[in-house]
Amino acid sequence: MRLYEFEGKHLFSKAKIPVPDGHLATSAEEVYQIASNLDRPVAIKSQVLTGGRGKAGGIKLADGANEARTVAEELFALKIKGFPVTMVLVEPRLTIQREYYIGVTIDRANYKLAVIASGEGGVDIEETAANSPDKIVRTSLSVHEPLYTFEAMGIAKKIGIPQEQIKPAAAIIVSLFNLFKKYDAKLVEINPLVLTDENKLIAADSRVSLDDDALFRHPELAEMGIEKRHEEGEMTPREQKATEWGIPYLDLDGNIGMFPGGAGFGIMGNDFIHYYGGKPANFMDSGGGPSPERIAKMLVLLDENPNVKAIFGARFGGISRCDDFAKGVVMFLKDHGLSKPMVMRMTGNMWQEGVRIFEHAKAENPRLFEHIEFHGIETEIEEISRRAVELAEEGGR
Amino acid sequence: MAILVDKNSRVLVQGITGGAGAFHAERMIAYGTNIIGGVTPGKGGQRVCDRPVFDTVEECVRETGADVSVIFLPAHFVKEAAIESIRAGIRFLVVIPEHIPIHDMLHVREEAVKHGTTVIGGNTAGIITPGEANLGIMPDIAFQPGRVGTVSRSGSITYYVADTLSRTGYGQTTCVGLGGDPVLGSTFAEILLKFEEDPKTKAVVMCGEIGGVYEEKATDAISRMKTPVLAMVGGVFAPPGKRMGHAGAIVEGRMGTAKEKLEMLADAGAHACKTFRDIPATLKKLGV
Repeated sequence: MRLYEFEGKHLFSKAKIPVPDGHLATSAEEVYQIASNLDRPVAIKSQVLTGGRGKAGGIKLADGANEARTVAEELFALKIKGFPVTMVLVEPRLTIQREYYIGVTIDRANYKLAVIASGEGGVDIEETAANSPDKIVRTSLSVHEPLYTFEAMGIAKKIGIPQEQIKPAAAIIVSLFNLFKKYDAKLVEINPLVLTDENKLIAADSRVSLDDDALFRHPELAEMGIEKRHEEGEMTPREQKATEWGIPYLDLDGNIGMFPGGAGFGIMGNDFIHYYGGKPANFMDSGGGPSPERIAKMLVLLDENPNVKAIFGARFGGISRCDDFAKGVVMFLKDHGLSKPMVMRMTGNMWQEGVRIFEHAKAENPRLFEHIEFHGIETEIEEISRRAVELAEEGGR
Repeated sequence: MAILVDKNSRVLVQGITGGAGAFHAERMIAYGTNIIGGVTPGKGGQRVCDRPVFDTVEECVRETGADVSVIFLPAHFVKEAAIESIRAGIRFLVVIPEHIPIHDMLHVREEAVKHGTTVIGGNTAGIITPGEANLGIMPDIAFQPGRVGTVSRSGSITYYVADTLSRTGYGQTTCVGLGGDPVLGSTFAEILLKFEEDPKTKAVVMCGEIGGVYEEKATDAISRMKTPVLAMVGGVFAPPGKRMGHAGAIVEGRMGTAKEKLEMLADAGAHACKTFRDIPATLKKLGV
């Protein structure tokens, strides 16, 4: 879960990392009030959960309150990578002598925590790493170890922090590392850490990404008003609906509706369809042990999508049982009826029971199953993929 | 033969008194797995599936000689349960639950390395040595004893690969689920090297997917192995995934796409397979 800049700065501030005296505003009029009170040149920064905000014109400077109101009106009319700007952060403008980069993240390959620092801040750190790796200082630590002040001082020296600023810089680096651990973060970044003309170090921006799976340990975040939210990116209406239903779902630009079991085959089934010359309309994962209701909702998403010409169903029952799967399909057929052809394969845990449920429902009402080709373990999954592509071509004609 | 578990493994279930624990303990016993008992703190003295329940792993190990554990517990109990097992001398630990906090798995991994315990998961379907032991949630129907090992990050892919090997007569020695979480107890490299030491395993199918770094980290092991490795990587046509962030990208370098992973594995000597059908065809070519 990614935090807004102002939320990250709130955590920084609690951890005694200096941040500008910022205020959140949701209208140009509020911006005017805040700028009047600050009575200094200000920076007005749109609060959106996406990168590249500066390049998209999402950060504006103003010399006085009137100018602040004018540029704020422009910001509130803006969409950044599809995100409408509904909040801005108003801060006293910093005078910049130098900019640095400090980040902490998880080094998954080596099972370590990594502190990354650079004397070149305020720029895309990924580019710095690619073009001049010598400008990146990297420190690896076990999850059990603290980051000692002497180590942080070493980092500060290596990235060229001036002598008189070494101690406050080390304190900031240690605080950032402790904050990373305290909140079970995946990533925390100060970019840039600014050395002002007044020789003060201050975190000009924040980037914080937390581990959703550890949020249960941090009720204090909810108390601060920081709530769980979608990670990043604009959602299509269908993705929005799927998210509300708790179904991992992504729209793609093809015409074959993908109705798989686990995420693993969700990803690989997408490849299979391409290998056989087709294009999936979506990516979807049922999650472990889905209820019949959830299975039915997955089919609703596919049936309602006008781009879907055929549906490719695959279920290898592990923790997800075939009988629940079959119940879900039947529930959908009875409530909605299927308007597209579907080819599916079902095997694994409780498959006999699943087949029995299908046969029973079909005997009751054969018309429900008119457009469904049903296969078991006797048919290779490749054959099902190929057939789905064929059905989509027929449907597309 | 088998890697990590066989019919002589003495398996305990952590969380055996819970719904999922009891359900799967019964399934595992029905398969023939040597489940010797379970652990649920505070419920020592009870019996589940006609097996004794203990309060602590240490007690269970002392009384029953348990050497392997499977965890069926809510994610937020996993860290403590895993470390308890590792410190009690369990040599192999299977972590089924998903959504375990990443920092917790870093702690578990450190403890495991310190004590020489092998951990698989979290978010794994488990491990199966067909005909001998089934630890986790894998469906029996896909598996047949045989001569090919499999290791995969995904449960459903494990089932499809095993199904393919079963129907074409190759069967499996052991099938290992690494798990789908971002930080895992074991890497591809570590499991591949265990297969390399098993004389019954004539080839290994490894199935990776887009994202993460464990496939790349396996190249060194593959280049040193005598046992042939067949590699599949899911997500060649996946839309670009969400990145962890800038610092994460630096740490992990320019790794992560399925195409790059597959190329690196092939360069290291693995035989790339696009679909499951390619697996028996490749095995035949290799004379397995």
